[in-house]
Amino acid sequence: MLALWSLSLVATPARAAHELLQLFVTEPYLELHTGPGRGYPVAQVVARGESVDVLFRRTDWFKVRTERGVEGWASAREMKLTTMADGAPFVVGLGDRAQFAHHRWEGGIFAGDYAGATLVAAYSALSITDNLKIELGLSQYTGNVSDGYTTEIGLAHVFMPEWRFSPLVDIGTGYVWVQPKATLAKPVDRSDELGYAGVGARYYLTRRFFVRADYRQYVVFTRTNANEVNEEWRLGFAFFY
Amino acid sequence: METRIRLLLLSIAIAACSGCASMHWPWHHPQSDATASASAGTDDSDASPPSVIEPQVERRTIKVPKIRPKDFEIGGYYGELSIQDFGAQPVAGARLDYHISEDLFVEATYGRAKGGKTSFELLSGNVQLLSDAERRFTYYNLSLGYNFLPGEVFIGRNLAMTSALYMIGGIGNVKFAGDQNFAINFGAGYRVLPTDWLALHIDVQDLVFKSNDIGVYQLKNNLQATIGATVFF
Repeated sequence: MLALWSLSLVATPARAAHELLQLFVTEPYLELHTGPGRGYPVAQVVARGESVDVLFRRTDWFKVRTERGVEGWASAREMKLTTMADGAPFVVGLGDRAQFAHHRWEGGIFAGDYAGATLVAAYSALSITDNLKIELGLSQYTGNVSDGYTTEIGLAHVFMPEWRFSPLVDIGTGYVWVQPKATLAKPVDRSDELGYAGVGARYYLTRRFFVRADYRQYVVFTRTNANEVNEEWRLGFAFFY
Repeated sequence: METRIRLLLLSIAIAACSGCASMHWPWHHPQSDATASASAGTDDSDASPPSVIEPQVERRTIKVPKIRPKDFEIGGYYGELSIQDFGAQPVAGARLDYHISEDLFVEATYGRAKGGKTSFELLSGNVQLLSDAERRFTYYNLSLGYNFLPGEVFIGRNLAMTSALYMIGGIGNVKFAGDQNFAINFGAGYRVLPTDWLALHIDVQDLVFKSNDIGVYQLKNNLQATIGATVFF
């Protein structure tokens, strides 16, 4: 019995090891909704001076637990007005123009045209600085003559990232897998290295969203004497976080 | 007389200066004093240097707990896909969603089905339009979804679950009849969350692509109805 009791003593701090962020309400009250959306009704309020533990975040909503153990959803906009235990303001990214200029990750989906073939592409980028980004791309094209996939890694330089409309240039390298379509003889699939250079622009829409357009020239280093030069344009929807 | 007074003042001044060392002037550094007395007392082994109290303060490194974002959803689905001309067939797939805001999310799906026989093949006996491998129908979609009717579902008195009716549309690729085809998809779905981490889905989508698998180019509509489950992480 004693052993069990001592075990439970040991177990209690271990359970509490996963610490939750505690935030204090400084406004007259903090509204807790029943769901992570603006339309869900307010079921509870937390008074000024009381605290909440943040359980997790979903988009711009935080699931919190009050001192009395009541759980609910608080919006990021209201959570921004709370403070931490040392009195420092709680900083949270809301997805605005400032974050459009200064963010760490972005991703997007494109549709377009690669050398006359229909293109579907997706990309993800990691910001080294506000101007310079490492980009990783995957795309598939389907044409009348051939289908294929490309993977690319490159660098993009954004001019004036703080502008709503910001131009960019990019350069990179990758691989292309080509599957020629044939009716008579079955040609062999081939893979080649490629390099690209392009220009583009991004335009901030709202919150975390922007549109992006690119024009690129690809040089495919084929095994034949002449390299292949292909043009690509694409338009896509992207977001940052 | 005057010289005597001068001598008296001078001796007072010298005495005062010699006493300076023992006084604690604000600019006087006690450490140098301690080392001076220590070096002076080297010949006396019993004399220990005066102890200097060093404050032993352990600075606490305050680690602000991180807030876990749970914006991703991963899971699978199963249902029926009506492949135009090739019958309605079971379809299974996987999906990955990222919720960008309370309204919008992006989704990547990958699904597989196997086309059945066309009416022509069924009626004409032993005719095979496609090989077994060519009948495999695989697709992926990259879509954008919009939660246009978010809400809550109530089961009994004590259970409330958040839910959303969403519209979804995107682009992708369908591989069927040995050919890759650019495809678009659009539809609607319903998501209900029994817990904060689990979601159940019902989806209806149309996969549209242009194909010439029977000799002529035509637009193919492939309706799909599925049920699925995902977990948030």
